[in-house]
Amino acid sequence: MGNDAYSILIKDICTAYHGLPVLESFSLQVPEGELLGVFGPNGTGKSTLIKVCLGLVPVASGEVRISGYRMSREGISFIRKLTAYVPQSFDVDRRMPVTAGEVVMMGRFGRMGLFNRIGPGDQAAADDALNMLGVKHLAGRTFGRLSGGEKQRVIVARALAQEPKILLMDEPTNSLDWESKKRICSLIREVHVERKLTTLIVSHDIDLLADTCDRIMLMERGHIIGARDPSEFRHCCRGQRHS
Amino acid sequence: MTVLELLQDDFMRHAILATFLAGVTCSCVGVLVVTMRISFIGVCMSHAAFAGALLGIILGLNPTVVALIFTLLAAAALGPLADRGNFSPDTSLGIIFSSTLGIAFLLLSLVPGPKTEALGLLWGNVLTVGKIDIIILAAVALAIIVLLRLFFKEVQTVVFNREMALASGIPATAVFYGILICSGLTTVASLNAIGGLLVFSLIINPAAAAYQIASDLRSMFFISALFGVLSGWGGLWLSYLLNLPSGALIILCSTLLFFGAVAFSSKKRSWPAKAVSDEPRSEICQGGKLNPEAGLQGKPENDSRQPCSKSALMEE
Repeated sequence: MGNDAYSILIKDICTAYHGLPVLESFSLQVPEGELLGVFGPNGTGKSTLIKVCLGLVPVASGEVRISGYRMSREGISFIRKLTAYVPQSFDVDRRMPVTAGEVVMMGRFGRMGLFNRIGPGDQAAADDALNMLGVKHLAGRTFGRLSGGEKQRVIVARALAQEPKILLMDEPTNSLDWESKKRICSLIREVHVERKLTTLIVSHDIDLLADTCDRIMLMERGHIIGARDPSEFRHCCRGQRHS
Repeated sequence: MTVLELLQDDFMRHAILATFLAGVTCSCVGVLVVTMRISFIGVCMSHAAFAGALLGIILGLNPTVVALIFTLLAAAALGPLADRGNFSPDTSLGIIFSSTLGIAFLLLSLVPGPKTEALGLLWGNVLTVGKIDIIILAAVALAIIVLLRLFFKEVQTVVFNREMALASGIPATAVFYGILICSGLTTVASLNAIGGLLVFSLIINPAAAAYQIASDLRSMFFISALFGVLSGWGGLWLSYLLNLPSGALIILCSTLLFFGAVAFSSKKRSWPAKAVSDEPRSEICQGGKLNPEAGLQGKPENDSRQPCSKSALMEE
């Protein structure tokens, strides 16, 4: 498979955080249109992997290509327009004067560029995203006062409003109750199929990954140590649960 | 005492204009400082401006120009420290804050002769502002309003979450440094009118009051500016009536407005919205009662809620 067939191509990278190595000789290929999960315990470098794909964490050596664009000073602006990010947590004060509708519209601002105003196309993209995630009725509400599940859906809607080709999700079900988790899992799958996205989810939530992903990579101490399909992964986890 | 009688004096007209401009400028910058929770950075900037102005007096240079240079240097140092310091941001800022305060008081002791001018920079006196001060304040106010109008969407995105803004292609670092520089410019421009020690209260209090009331960021800017101007004019009026220092009374007025906003805030009274308030009820909870069957059907076949050993899973 040629390099351009991969939406995410990471070759032999090394990254460090405050002088401590996080990813060492790390490589990963994600073909276009795949929904890939990365599973591993806390502190193994999963979030760093997502940030490397967004150019938020510098790479000491190796190569990162996103949709064929090399991660560099020139390539990063293209990459950030093609990728959307759902972070692990967002600490927003409940009095912060920002509505859910405004949060979703923020997904458009990076694409619009400086000095440009919100146009009908931007409004339509934000409305589509709100409808798809079933949060249109929350658009006028203060974001900080929504429940955890509602906030998460609004953040996913914001990512979709960006009309990305690649969706990067960091622990999207973190701190959600079981029902919200179930709903987010089915929404991720639905969005992935409908928008024909390449999706990378990093999580330590076994159910999320087994229920939604096409393939699951196992990660430990900054290295990929294996790959599983969802049934194998579930079987493996079930074995561990019963032992 | 009528408003018309007040306006007859030249110094009073200058003071009214200066408090209006300082109120608008400080409160607009305050909205950014309060929503981004970088209040301590602003305190550092105001002390850096004060230290710079004192150095200007000692060297016989224009205090405003030296204060401006000092605040820009402080912004250049504070940005990276807040971003990627090896200590926590609180610790780094605490060190810079105490350093700028130490430098300011050291320079204060080195000012030759009577220290009236130097102490004037500390407390400010809106009744002595001249045309140059008003022109500087007006220029800074205009620059900040134009910048906010041009880059409102970028500012809003950065205020909400800097990392997400950066990831979506917004120049978040440039916006953050721009906010620091605007904060420094506002402090310098308000030094003579409000004073280095009190200016920061006029930055924080009106914005913190607006934060209790506003439903969106745009309205927060307007409410904050209104509170800033009301504080300025209220303090000036009381200062004229009671013959007390204007800077201190302006700050006390802004503090009163803050407590008033807290007392009457609708945000304080309302509880966070329920997760399912406006939506159709899920299959798990129908008609206000739990539906255990739906819950069991919906639960994945393999779902057991016990934690599992992840390191064991990793073993091939």
